Amino acid sequence: MKKTWLKWAALGTPALIAAGCATYPDQATTRQIAEKMVSEDFSAPMPTLLKRLVQDRSQQICSKIGDAKLTQAEAAEVVELARASIQYPQSGKLVGDWKAGDKLAHDGAGDRIQFGILEKRKENGGLCQNCHALAPGEINVGNVGPSLTGYGLQRGNSEAVAKLTYERIYNGWAYAPCSNMPRLGATGHLTPEQITHMVAYLIDPQSPINRKQ
Amino acid sequence: MPVARSSNVVLAVVCLVSWGAAPTMAQSGDPLAVGRKMLAEDNPGELWIEQGKTLFHQKRGPKSASLEQCNFGLGPGKLDGATTQLPRYFPDTDRVQDLESRLVTCMVQLQGFNHDDLVKRAISPAGSNGSDVEALALYITSRSNGMKMNVSLSHPKEQEMYKVGEYLFFRRSGQTDFACVQCHGAADKRIRLQDLIHMTSKQGVQEVVSTWPAYRGAHFVVRTMQWRLYDCFWQMRLPELKYASETSIALTTYLHYQGNGAVVKVPGFKR
Repeated sequence: MKKTWLKWAALGTPALIAAGCATYPDQATTRQIAEKMVSEDFSAPMPTLLKRLVQDRSQQICSKIGDAKLTQAEAAEVVELARASIQYPQSGKLVGDWKAGDKLAHDGAGDRIQFGILEKRKENGGLCQNCHALAPGEINVGNVGPSLTGYGLQRGNSEAVAKLTYERIYNGWAYAPCSNMPRLGATGHLTPEQITHMVAYLIDPQSPINRKQ
Repeated sequence: MPVARSSNVVLAVVCLVSWGAAPTMAQSGDPLAVGRKMLAEDNPGELWIEQGKTLFHQKRGPKSASLEQCNFGLGPGKLDGATTQLPRYFPDTDRVQDLESRLVTCMVQLQGFNHDDLVKRAISPAGSNGSDVEALALYITSRSNGMKMNVSLSHPKEQEMYKVGEYLFFRRSGQTDFACVQCHGAADKRIRLQDLIHMTSKQGVQEVVSTWPAYRGAHFVVRTMQWRLYDCFWQMRLPELKYASETSIALTTYLHYQGNGAVVKVPGFKR
């Protein structure tokens, strides 16, 4: 009996070591090494800009590796954090100027860092065109996100639609936790006023995005 | 392939009907693809190969030495197939290194160049004649043309870099909430009109690992993998990725290992 145990132990120990080596580094070690690298491997003209590399709680949750799924509790936490983040414009008006929104939607610049210089502009572009189809017939549009062509035609321009649209741009994770859509308001990329213009661009019947084809 | 195409068309039609509104170009592919293919057949990047070869054999730097003694993993001066195994662990530096960081090591150690100067000039301005590192990287990679990528994770540090690279590929941060996977995790995606490579598929990642360095049409110069990573972080609004940093090598290890089996064909051609 005792001998058998010894024999198994002798066989098992190397097997366990091999299994341990095969999975090296474990998740915690990987994370530790990676985070240290990120903290050392980037440069910026101002030290405060390095804070962009630091993840907030939601980004940590939303960085699942491979096909790993969010747990229900994680999804709920991201939604809760997103809801709490949403701020509305001081005017209280959620629908701005669609022409300003049109311009923003087609502006992909602002806030990038190159050759030690921060791309400083009066305001950041809205980035929409990079990923979404916009007005009918526009060719130079991306498809990472869903088409927004006819957005207002399909949904109308009620107050409820305006509010939902505003919130989905400000922090879409309140509705679709960890989606690919940047939390444009919550991360500070866009101001609340800019978002009202984008809401107008999406839902105003006069906006080119709602032109009947 | 024709089967996949036709099912895409069916999908596209279904989408057109069900959404009632679809972008004209989204499903019909990249209208610039034809032009790009024509340019790729007469790739100006070829010119950089000769330049890189000359630089490799020339006695240069404060030590007036060539790079003929540089060891890219197969022994001093052995270039054929060397980049198919990169990144890999190098005992002399006790680091996992990609081609470009190894090149910098040799240019500092053998030729006596200043590390910070080299790194500062490694990525050349658009429209310039390119940097020495860019030409050298292309020449050395071209010596693996026609060979299959064969990156190993047998050393624990290689395994570590692979896992860290994977972690980084999915790590979201910054005001755009982007990790690599947000743009490179699905098939047939574009940013505006530019195709995004689907890097979580074998075919996509193999395209990545076999086509850099590449001639970048919009910049009129040869660009390297280090540049590609740097430029992505720029668009993500993150701080500047340091040239040949551990982060860059980790991501490259992650991609290159997954791309094993891909046949190297450089210079690639990018828009």
